[in-house]
Amino acid sequence: MKPARISGSMRTLFILTFCLLLSVVPLAAQENTCVQCHGSLPGRYGEPVLLWKTSVHAGNGVYCHECHGGDPKDMTNAMNPSRGFKGVPKQTAIPETCGRCHVGVLKDFMGSAHGKKLGNGGPTCVTCHGNHAIKKASLDLINEKTCTKCHPYERARLMKQAMQATEGRITSLDNRIQTLKLQGKASEGMEQGLFNARNRFHTLFHDVMVEKVRSESTAIDKELETIGAQIDAIEQAEKKRKIAGSVAIAGALLAALFFRLLGKTYDN
Amino acid sequence: MTLISKLYDWVESRLGISEVIQKEMTGYLLPRTINKWYSLGSVLLFAFALQVISGILLLIYYVPDADKAFKSVSVIMNEIPFGWLIRLCHAVGSNLMVATLFLHMFSVLFMGSYKKPRELQWVSGFTLLNLVMGISLTGYLLPWSQLSFWATTVATNSVGAVPVIGEYLVEFVRGGKLVGPPTLGRFFAVHVAILPVVIAGLIGAHLFFLKRTGISAPPTRNNQAATTWQGGAYHYDKHEGGIPFFPNFFLHDMTSISIYFACLLGVVFFSPYLFFTPDSFVPANAFQTPAHIKPEWYFLANYQILKIFPSEIIGLTVQGAGMTFIALLPFVDRGDKRYPLQRPLFMVCAVGGIALFIALSIWGHLS
Repeated sequence: MKPARISGSMRTLFILTFCLLLSVVPLAAQENTCVQCHGSLPGRYGEPVLLWKTSVHAGNGVYCHECHGGDPKDMTNAMNPSRGFKGVPKQTAIPETCGRCHVGVLKDFMGSAHGKKLGNGGPTCVTCHGNHAIKKASLDLINEKTCTKCHPYERARLMKQAMQATEGRITSLDNRIQTLKLQGKASEGMEQGLFNARNRFHTLFHDVMVEKVRSESTAIDKELETIGAQIDAIEQAEKKRKIAGSVAIAGALLAALFFRLLGKTYDN
Repeated sequence: MTLISKLYDWVESRLGISEVIQKEMTGYLLPRTINKWYSLGSVLLFAFALQVISGILLLIYYVPDADKAFKSVSVIMNEIPFGWLIRLCHAVGSNLMVATLFLHMFSVLFMGSYKKPRELQWVSGFTLLNLVMGISLTGYLLPWSQLSFWATTVATNSVGAVPVIGEYLVEFVRGGKLVGPPTLGRFFAVHVAILPVVIAGLIGAHLFFLKRTGISAPPTRNNQAATTWQGGAYHYDKHEGGIPFFPNFFLHDMTSISIYFACLLGVVFFSPYLFFTPDSFVPANAFQTPAHIKPEWYFLANYQILKIFPSEIIGLTVQGAGMTFIALLPFVDRGDKRYPLQRPLFMVCAVGGIALFIALSIWGHLS
């Protein structure tokens, strides 16, 4: 009987603690039971939430249920298969899972040498991008450590070299757009343009064909030039404002001096 | 006789304008020892006028609807000709206005100008400071950004600490359990219709009190510049042999206003994001709490006081007691001496109070 009583009081304590947690967690977490529950669990059950919080998915508001299914608004049935819960996808189903959102990438991947090896020791999306701590697509993903898990690095190195200049332009434009965005400048159009160009560019990663990368990069570079020109125009306008501002401030200070001197004549 | 002269005579014979000018401007005498600190009142009038004008211009394109407010502010900043200038003047101007109000209050404090018979000036001025902080708070929500949304959530939460009715008060202020579209509607109405009218009315009262008592002379060590008024009957401080308001002091006022305007333009053109954080440019999202939401700089001390005490009600009570003390200062500090160095207890309290306010603000910023 004694162990049962302890168990009962522990349950009460757990429920009370849980209610307390519910009252203080932020609104976003209240809306998502996956993050709320798993986030408070230790070890392997909680680790995915910690990793996910560092991911590009978390940054873009893509939650657990987008990949694993289930109902994030119903704590009781969150992991009920009848609510679409799928759990951990099988290895061969990973490209299809990611491809539900990344449609174009799935097509490119499946047509590539990587995709054709699916189920036969070939890589899946998570091999390069990670699973919960999903990394934003960038050239850093092509590296000796990851690629040599399966094959020599030589061909991957050539691919990386061919893409480096364009990737550098994209990163530089992205930084400039982010700076403008933090200043409240209208950046949606440029951001969307860069997003599209970057996506098209990054799909080339999945083809793993050096020549195709070289030819497509030229067209993408032209789009990037247009976006760069738009950013330049905004930055130029900002410089002109500063010049106009200097004139206005000088005018106000001169007026102050004039009133001061005129005031002195009356005082005398 | 020219047409203009005829028109002047016509108006003059009906309204007696020259008499008004003589009485209120050229014949309105101020103490000969008057200093630059006395210009801060005129600077504040200019700042308030600028806020009203820029606010009216913003109203043309601003949409007080939770779905459209952020976008409308973005349009003002990016698409409307000179919209950015008007919006920045309004946003930066509100901060500079509060800073100038503090300076005005400190100058009145240190020169002892709040003492009898000017108690009503002090009370109306202190009320004005609080109303300006209130209008700044309500204006803070209007861009409907992450910063607006969450800063308002934090600010309105503190009202909940009021015993018994706290919960209802929060709901009344927000127009619901949480900050949402009804809160925006309420804050918009208070910001553009109620508070500006109340502030304008109180400025009128403040100036009326000033006119009726006459301006106080700055105190010096040897000359206390104490009023001869002993109570009982109305008295006006005439300052015989003083300088006329127009043109003498008017030009001093214009100098100060021009310097204030240069400072405002300096921030607007060279450090326009001084009072903005990156969250100011992200649309409000009730489901995503930003990591570090802080109130505006002038509320940081209040914010930190609420955090220091174990319960919010104690924090609110301490603040309420402090505010009441400051508001009633002329009735507490009834001594005749006005020169600050001859008031050691006052100096210790005032300097200590200002240092505490600055320290709490820095602590609030860093915490």
